[in-house]
Amino acid sequence: MAQPFVKKDDDHDEEEEYSPFHGIEKGAVLQEARVFHDPQLDARKCSQVITKLLYLLNQGETFTKVEATGVFFAVTKLFQSKDTVLRRMVYLMIKELSPSADEVIIVTSSLMKDMNSKTDMYRANAIRVLCRITDSTLLAQIERYLKQAIVDKNPVVSSAALVSAVHLLQTNPEIVKRWSNEVQEAVQSRAALVQFHALALLHQIRQNDRLAVTKLVTSLTKGSVRSPLAQCLLMRYTSQVIRESNANTQGERPFFDYLESSLRHKAEMVVFEAARAITELSGVTSRELTPAITVLQLFLSSSKPVLRFAAIRTLNKVANTHPLAVTNCNIDMESLISDQNRSIATLAITTLLKTGNESSVDRLMKQITNFMSDIADEFKIVVVEAIRSLCLKFPLKYRSLMNFLSNILREEGGFDYKKAIVDSIVILIRDIPEAKEIGLFHLCEFIEDCEFTYLSAQILHFLGNEGPKTSDPSRYIRYIYNRVILENATVRACAVSTLAKFGAMVDSLKPRIFVLLRRCLFDSDDEVRDRATLYLNTLGSDPSAETDQEVKEFLFGPLDVPLVNLETSLRNYVASEVPFDFVSVPKEIKSQPLAEKKAPGKKPAGLGAAPTAPTSAVDGYEKLLSSIPEFASFGKLFKSSAPVELTEAETEYSVNVVKHIFDSHVVFQYNCTNTITEQLLEMVTVFVDASEAEEFSEVATKPLRSLPYDLPGQTFVAFEKPEGVPAMGKFSNLLKFVVKEVDPATGEAEEEGVEDEYQLEDLEIVAADYMLKVGVSNFKNAWESLDPENERIDEYGLGVKESLTETVKAVIDILGMQPCEVSLLPNDALHLTTEKNQPCSTSSQGTDVVPSNSRSHTCLLSGIFLGNVKVLVRVSFGIDGSKQVAMKLAVRSEDLEISEKIHEIVSEG
Amino acid sequence: MLLAVLFTNIEGNILVERFHGVPAEERLHWRSFLVKLGADNLRRAKSEELFVATHKSVYIVYTMLGDVSIFIVGKDEYDELTLSEVMCTIISSVKDVCGRTPTERLFLDKYGKICLCLDEIVWKGMLENTDKTRIRNLTRLKPPTDI
Repeated sequence: MAQPFVKKDDDHDEEEEYSPFHGIEKGAVLQEARVFHDPQLDARKCSQVITKLLYLLNQGETFTKVEATGVFFAVTKLFQSKDTVLRRMVYLMIKELSPSADEVIIVTSSLMKDMNSKTDMYRANAIRVLCRITDSTLLAQIERYLKQAIVDKNPVVSSAALVSAVHLLQTNPEIVKRWSNEVQEAVQSRAALVQFHALALLHQIRQNDRLAVTKLVTSLTKGSVRSPLAQCLLMRYTSQVIRESNANTQGERPFFDYLESSLRHKAEMVVFEAARAITELSGVTSRELTPAITVLQLFLSSSKPVLRFAAIRTLNKVANTHPLAVTNCNIDMESLISDQNRSIATLAITTLLKTGNESSVDRLMKQITNFMSDIADEFKIVVVEAIRSLCLKFPLKYRSLMNFLSNILREEGGFDYKKAIVDSIVILIRDIPEAKEIGLFHLCEFIEDCEFTYLSAQILHFLGNEGPKTSDPSRYIRYIYNRVILENATVRACAVSTLAKFGAMVDSLKPRIFVLLRRCLFDSDDEVRDRATLYLNTLGSDPSAETDQEVKEFLFGPLDVPLVNLETSLRNYVASEVPFDFVSVPKEIKSQPLAEKKAPGKKPAGLGAAPTAPTSAVDGYEKLLSSIPEFASFGKLFKSSAPVELTEAETEYSVNVVKHIFDSHVVFQYNCTNTITEQLLEMVTVFVDASEAEEFSEVATKPLRSLPYDLPGQTFVAFEKPEGVPAMGKFSNLLKFVVKEVDPATGEAEEEGVEDEYQLEDLEIVAADYMLKVGVSNFKNAWESLDPENERIDEYGLGVKESLTETVKAVIDILGMQPCEVSLLPNDALHLTTEKNQPCSTSSQGTDVVPSNSRSHTCLLSGIFLGNVKVLVRVSFGIDGSKQVAMKLAVRSEDLEISEKIHEIVSEG
Repeated sequence: MLLAVLFTNIEGNILVERFHGVPAEERLHWRSFLVKLGADNLRRAKSEELFVATHKSVYIVYTMLGDVSIFIVGKDEYDELTLSEVMCTIISSVKDVCGRTPTERLFLDKYGKICLCLDEIVWKGMLENTDKTRIRNLTRLKPPTDI
């Protein structure tokens, strides 16, 4: 709770006495509220008590139901007073108290009286209070008055009714929609705010009717809107209409003249809105952009910080797609680097980094260095990310940019900031080969004095992968072994693994590494000792001999299963005589349930692949199928699909199907639910017509004996298909059963039943059913490890598409593969927790996400195809002004035939 | 939608807060976020100088008025420019009620009137009135002079 005043100067005692709310207490104020019941009301005293009640409410104080009711009833007594200030307070108090439905009745008649009062101000306030506390029954009673109020000649009354209607539209849309004519009339009002409120309401009423919105915009853009606020709204609605019409028509852009002429409006707000609308037009040309950029440039030197912020924010976005169009503003933006508002300065810097050319990089870096020292971490992160993009754009400048990153890495900063810098250096090392050695050296320096376990582990892992490939791997050993001596157990364990990697990859270093590893056998931590023992024993007893390739693969190769699946399998594994079988771990990444995705704080920062996934379903399917003798001989289950609904929601029988794929069989598992209480179904089967699936022949059916009400059950149908062939086809389904009436009183079914059937939706086996969604932790490495001989590249014209986002999604769906991210995280650091468990701006993003306004995009996909063949896909999209989309598809896999098959699938899809 | 209007004293204690369409469980988060934003940026600020920030998809305009910090949070059509309009209205009305740039003491003294002004400016998350004379009249239930 707030202290009601601040100690500012020496006369502190005097102030304390003066503070009107000093020592305020809820109980005492409630007592004071008894003055509301006085027969002779003291309006001034009552106003003071209401002020105290408001203060309490604003301080977060809550009233119990009894207290609130007491205050509410007392306040209604104040309607007797004719004092206007008190009446105004009463209106506010009733709104703040939000009386419950059974209490509202007490005050309704007083408010209805005020609503029809000759005093305009009573009318306006009564409308607002009534609309706040009303329900649909009461609304129907007062509808007539509200319609009148909307077109009232007093703008205060009219606005009160319109704003109330905006809120009522959420709860009683049918009633409010009947007021369209009145609202339409109010749009033409001469009062600016009435126009603004009426336009907002009219648009909300019509928002689902595209034609009506177009008509509204067409009529209003001709110039009857005077209010600047309403103009801004209109501009937004116009942009929406342009966006929607663009999708359907080609050629001249409608309403562009209106937007352009608004750039000359006298209100800055309108000018800015017009400029922003123009910059956000899809496929905007340089000619269209020029006038908008010019006004934004003027705003950059405005004395108002809000205008400067708005302008630089818009230019920052434009710089993503049209950097050249923004270069004219560079000088103005440079002067904003010293802006007192740090948000503005950060936006200016990041925009300059996007628009600058190679020759200006050094000068810019000098300015940024001074700037970095006095901004907060969250701004610094934005700058670091911008510098990373700049470096990727101008790889020749890597030296100065890498130096800058290493300098800021040494300065003070929180975890997120440091992580952003480390991630950037890692990305630069990966993408700019010349930057590798200098980058690794900076990272080594950093871990010498790094307070974050997570980052040390990440860097050690990265060092283990990249260090042995450099010209002089031995120079890194000192830094790594220092970790074994100086750090905590987690980092020590990581350092041992890194040392072992050097030993395995660089034969000349192996004997010396063995000496260091032997010292680790005496470490105080189990994990460190275990790792050292493992490496010493597997890397070969003879330190001078070359390390076997298989051993390297075993120790340092990719895990090939999502860690979360491994965790679940291990949890399910009951210690017994049988050793744990790694092959039994499911490889597929299940999509996350929506609710879990939305939960805040659950996002693992920067994880490459492997979102958390419930894998129990996969395990469950495997157990279920192997327990059915008919299917026991089908071999190992390759994949189970997500359930596909075969009935509409809320039908008598609810059926969905799961497709289980084996090497030479397919099993359909029909999950059935009977939703009729008076029925019992018996001998439930699905008759499957496979005439449109020529390569499949039915081999077994397992009926469901009994399906009582609301107790789900399964029936199965199995098909044989050519071994290892991804056969496709369409199946029509008919549910067949014997139905028996159930007596609702006793719950017993009749003895005699009737045969019946129920048509289900068709079902398809598609290419994606033969693909397991398996992510890779480092796409680049995985791609390079596959034989380039097995690569197939082709280009496709996809015709006119709505957007790149949709196209990317469609291709991913056809292939059924896992979109990969640009991973920065080591596998063996996955078990470490981040220092701060909060959503931070992660530097890796799924390649399935297309940035808005992007005109080209590359998506990386990985998966395992039927027959356990690893497949990687690199697919690039480009879209031109006329929305023609072109696609380049590069596929690598362990089998050339499969690479070709993927192209076949895409060309057929 | 205007999501929040918040008044705090120099120490970051809440004087008035109005949330619209913000779930109760998120209010504490917003409150501490805004107070921190003020503590980071308003220390050396001049009175009535507007500051602006974005946080995810919402906009924040904030300022210092005498001893009182004012924060306004909005989203969608209530972007930084509209919020600055709202802020200017709030500043002029508070000054009008207090007769000058408010100290915290003066602000608390005029607390009731300021609440009424706020009720006229923002109602359930929508900007309703922008003119200080009109607002003054409306809080006294007098008809506006500009009709």
